[in-house]
Amino acid sequence: MSGGSARSLGKGEACPPRSAATLRRVSGPGPGGRAAPERSHAGGSAPPGPVPEGLIRVYSMRFCPFAKRTLLVLKAKGIGHEVININLKNKPEWFFKKNPFGLVPVLENSQGQVIYESAITCEYLDEAYPGKKLLPDDPYEKACQKMVFELFSKVPPLLLSFLRRQNKEDCSGVKEELHKEFSKLEEVLTNKKTTFFGGSSLSMIDYLIWPWFEWLIALELNECVDHTPNLKLWMEAMMKDPAVSSLFIDPKAFRGFLDLYLQNNLEACDYGL
Amino acid sequence: MTDDATRTLGKGSAPPGPVPEGLIRLYSMRFCPFAHRTRLVLRAKGIRHEVININLRNKPEWYFTKHPFGQIPVLENSKGQLIYESVIACEYLDDAYPGRKLYPYDSYERARQKMLLELFCKVPHLTKECLVTLRCGRGCADLKLALRQEFCNLEEILGYQNTIFFGGDCISMIDYLFWPWFERLDVYGIADCVNHTPALRLWIAAMKQDPTVCALLIDKNIFLGFLNLYFQNNPDAFDYGLSC
Repeated sequence: MSGGSARSLGKGEACPPRSAATLRRVSGPGPGGRAAPERSHAGGSAPPGPVPEGLIRVYSMRFCPFAKRTLLVLKAKGIGHEVININLKNKPEWFFKKNPFGLVPVLENSQGQVIYESAITCEYLDEAYPGKKLLPDDPYEKACQKMVFELFSKVPPLLLSFLRRQNKEDCSGVKEELHKEFSKLEEVLTNKKTTFFGGSSLSMIDYLIWPWFEWLIALELNECVDHTPNLKLWMEAMMKDPAVSSLFIDPKAFRGFLDLYLQNNLEACDYGL
Repeated sequence: MTDDATRTLGKGSAPPGPVPEGLIRLYSMRFCPFAHRTRLVLRAKGIRHEVININLRNKPEWYFTKHPFGQIPVLENSKGQLIYESVIACEYLDDAYPGRKLYPYDSYERARQKMLLELFCKVPHLTKECLVTLRCGRGCADLKLALRQEFCNLEEILGYQNTIFFGGDCISMIDYLFWPWFERLDVYGIADCVNHTPALRLWIAAMKQDPTVCALLIDKNIFLGFLNLYFQNNPDAFDYGLSC
């Protein structure tokens, strides 16, 4: 995973002047309409220019659940931002200067400061920007959210291995493990007696785990939460959230992307555009 | 003698009572690097605390009510609230207690320390594997090579920043979060892994000057005594070096 220079932890390098054609702004909370997403930047593309004052930039990919976390927080907090999508099957060389690990999401602000790792980007946005706080102020409640986050940590690799097996081997073993992980989350909701993982209102932890449940819906795997009623209710409540619904993934586009992505097709990341 | 010099509690032991008002309790083990992080933060911030050491090879039944898998470290406060995962516990202490802040105030600098922690994430596993491999009498050249590569990444950060510590010119949270594994290089038999990383060696020397690090330094002979017993699967290993 770690490769390339760690230099981008520093202040960031000066970039050539940006070409207006490569960037498109997505501004803060609109009435729900989305700006048209742009094609991803791939190997051989020119590096983007500096981030304009008053905006923060997120390097993303339309179907990446980790990047989705950051997009949800940007939306929920009404933070003015621009999105640059990266072709994860054909990464531009300049992108490794932003994140030596070459992964999305990455935040870049107008001071050239770069932040990566999805959970770190989300926490940074919550701290650096005003408005509704998504993480609780109470130290113990904040620690609880982080403990739930750890509890959730086996789900992403499990779901990924489930997807990879779909048409091949028997995936009942993976499904059983998934059920076990979901039961742990169910227990949290049962003990807390609240709708959301942080209490009676939606907060950071809900956004952090949501993108994988969106996958369940897109892949018509809702039966995975049949034996976890509180989790099922939580999903329904999440779907009503404005940030969640405005960024909701189109199931057909997701399945189209997934097919191409699992075949290592270079066009996967731009499916549907 | 550090304040955690108490015998471990094992199977059949009576569960401890509630945590007294004005104290926080740490469930720990004297030689565990993850628990060491939390002990460093408690000390650095001057937080009044009590330590209960757990026999990790013979865990008390009641301990699973503190942590679902019986792991350490775990914090318990006088309200009965439990916090686990070493990094979460350290951040909780920094947030909940006044005085010296170990994480920076600036949001970007905080994020930077958390990104540095990601860069460090292979070190605990690699150092443990080296230790186990060496103790089993096998060579660990590949593991040491991998560990040296991780140390090179950290060296590069120090070089780029041109600061003594990972958070700047003063010691801060990230340094304490890294420290336990560097303290153990010598006793694990892999001190030569920092032969090619001079800035990292300077950092180690600077860390050894820190009063908090110093106060919790584990005596080499006691550590070796623990390791010998541990690798013989002796359940008394965890109490090695304690006078009755």
